[in-house]
Amino acid sequence: MTLLEIFDPKAAPKPIGIDLGTTNSLVAYVDDERPCAIADCDAEVLLPSVVAYGPRGAVDVGRHAKAGASQRARETIVSVKRFMGRGADDPETARLGPYSFVPPKPGEANVVRFDVGDRVVTPVEVSAEILRALKRLAEDELRAVGGAVITVPAYFDDAQRQATRDAGRLAGLEVLRLLNEPTAAALAYGLDKKQNGTFAVYDLGGGTFDVTILLLDDGVFQVKSTGGDSALGGDDMDHALANLIFERMGWGERERGDANLVRLVLDRARAIKHALTTGLEVEAEIVPGRSVVVRRAELDRLIEPLLERTGVACRRALKDAGLKAEGLDGVILVGGSTRVPAVRAYVKRLFGREPLADIDPDQVVALGAALQANLLAGEGRDDILLLDVIPLSLGIEVGGGVVDKILPRNTTTPTGARATYTTQEDRQTGFEIHVVQGERELAGDCRSLARFTLKGIPPMPAGMAKLEITFRVDADGLLTVHAREETTGLEQEVSVKPSYGLDDAAVEQMLMDALDHGEDDLKARLLAENRVEAGRIVQATRQAVAVDADLLAPGDRGRIDEAIAALEAASRGDEPGRIHHLIEELDLASKEFATRRMNRAIARAIEGRKVTDVEGGLSSHAAPGAE
Amino acid sequence: MDPFATLGLERTFSLDLRAAEKTHRELSRALHPDRHARGGASERRQALERAVAVNEAWRVVRDPIRRAEALFTLAGVPVGDTHEPAPSPALLMDMMEQREALAEARSRRDAAAVRDLAAQVGAREEATELALGAAFEDARGDRARLEPLVAKLGELRYYRRFLEEASAITDDLEPSS
Repeated sequence: MTLLEIFDPKAAPKPIGIDLGTTNSLVAYVDDERPCAIADCDAEVLLPSVVAYGPRGAVDVGRHAKAGASQRARETIVSVKRFMGRGADDPETARLGPYSFVPPKPGEANVVRFDVGDRVVTPVEVSAEILRALKRLAEDELRAVGGAVITVPAYFDDAQRQATRDAGRLAGLEVLRLLNEPTAAALAYGLDKKQNGTFAVYDLGGGTFDVTILLLDDGVFQVKSTGGDSALGGDDMDHALANLIFERMGWGERERGDANLVRLVLDRARAIKHALTTGLEVEAEIVPGRSVVVRRAELDRLIEPLLERTGVACRRALKDAGLKAEGLDGVILVGGSTRVPAVRAYVKRLFGREPLADIDPDQVVALGAALQANLLAGEGRDDILLLDVIPLSLGIEVGGGVVDKILPRNTTTPTGARATYTTQEDRQTGFEIHVVQGERELAGDCRSLARFTLKGIPPMPAGMAKLEITFRVDADGLLTVHAREETTGLEQEVSVKPSYGLDDAAVEQMLMDALDHGEDDLKARLLAENRVEAGRIVQATRQAVAVDADLLAPGDRGRIDEAIAALEAASRGDEPGRIHHLIEELDLASKEFATRRMNRAIARAIEGRKVTDVEGGLSSHAAPGAE
Repeated sequence: MDPFATLGLERTFSLDLRAAEKTHRELSRALHPDRHARGGASERRQALERAVAVNEAWRVVRDPIRRAEALFTLAGVPVGDTHEPAPSPALLMDMMEQREALAEARSRRDAAAVRDLAAQVGAREEATELALGAAFEDARGDRARLEPLVAKLGELRYYRRFLEEASAITDDLEPSS
């Protein structure tokens, strides 16, 4: 990097892509159309996803924290991703590591809380520390960081996605999009190889497994189906190996209750697993003077059941896509755990072909995320589009605890659906709505996302009230539910957070706490954000006016120019509220014009060709002067 | 909502699904939120709403059962649990026999027999879809001529349920196929 670059005060903010992994995390950006990962001062690209909490508020992230984990196991959070979006009462929670948990107080959100010595932290806060470390790394390299695309396992449910988005916000990132990891990998491969066809992405990470079948066709990456297990990965291999070590060492319950020893054995297990990637037999010292020998065949046997679980998910994904393995044009390996020879052999057998792994499986997801961030910032090729799906069906609990599926899995996002219900009893004034996610028939077997009650329905005979429930899933895969009683127009909307998430106020409070000077910092940040937003919208509006000038109604141009001038003046000031207000004014001034542009785009898409003069463009949508 | 109009398609049961898929993709190119990420709030909102409508429409149109439901509803013929006629005794008998055969094959763990049964019902499903397509053409949206066709929709529902069950059994019997 030259001095000139370092001191360029006008360095344009660069969008970044982040792979927030179970074991390791990394950040990448696009430099001259090529995605590249950012290395730290030791030339390391992978940041261990380990956060150590020390005395007096000290927080350490990465290799140093990892090295000290077996001395301070309870204060060092490893694989925090596995706790994202989980309830404090989830049986998985306690199984996952040597931690102390604090149960939520009455009225507090049902999320995991780690006791790390002198404070209590949630998985969202721990993840935010990792994201902050990556953001700093990116800032050192790029000077100014723009928006971020953060990847999530495709199989993450709504609560896990919400938690990830909250962590991004808490870390001070503008989260442009949550992107599914296999889709990100496909993007990196697809743009690299410029090949059309149907591909399977087999993504076995530290703690999650995804399989995605997607069709790549002239720049459109269309996910056909996805499946997986959000609690299956390299960590489970380590746990299986650790059990073997405990047995070989002749250790029992007492040793298994020692948090530091458990962490040490897990570290040794991982080292053995890595050594067995190239070696057929490895001897490892567990404690001074005592070693164990593990052969590759033993590891293979231990992980066989885990691989079978991935196989079940793969077969289902193929079936959902209406394909057989022979119908695929390629299989892509993603995730550090696919380095294990038994995994590669299994995938080869499963799909009947040699899988592709020529992009580093640890980096490919972040590289894809960087490409997507670039596209969203308007800097990439404009013929690329990712069409993703929801991984798990979304539904409502109806009578008898049965789930009424409203949106089936593998529905392309963004999407929506409606369903109508009625009251069961005479004079029923409240209607409880229980939103669940999963494939099972009974609500009790699915993931509970939210419960809320539509109250104030006027007393009517049973079956008279009509409740319309609307589901809306955005491009991040996040769900919003809207309920409306039709005879009275009574409405209620929830973004689905209550069951296992933090509400907006809680995240806002954490954000304030995390900033050194509370409100002043927050105001500075708001100002910066609003200025960026203003600049972006002015640019987009000017471009739109230039491209579709013929769609401007009389008076449009004057109003738009005026609004732009006012907004630009406000942007030079220091009142975030005023900038925000004028952004809305500009939006209002160009609203009708935006509608006409949208109609033209739709007409062109349906015609399937570029039409220079779309019939009924301006005249049929807005009578000139009639505003 | 008229899913056919949303996708710019002719209102018919016998659709060229490949062409429809292409239209869906082109519309997605125009409307997907990623394409409007840098626009103003109302542009983003409008794009999102329309992208949702387009995906919703495609979900209806691509599925024969939902497609038939939409065509009936658009023609003013009510469909759904309470509106559809009870299945004919002949169909009921028939499906009961098939189900028994399926249950037997399952208990014998005879995967080949399950596949055969699924293939038979699959063929009937296809035939019913073809017949329904032709009948929709003939009816030309005329309510009186459409009403008797609702029974065929019921048939399709029965076949689908059967095929889903058979598929679950196959998965169960041959986990490695």
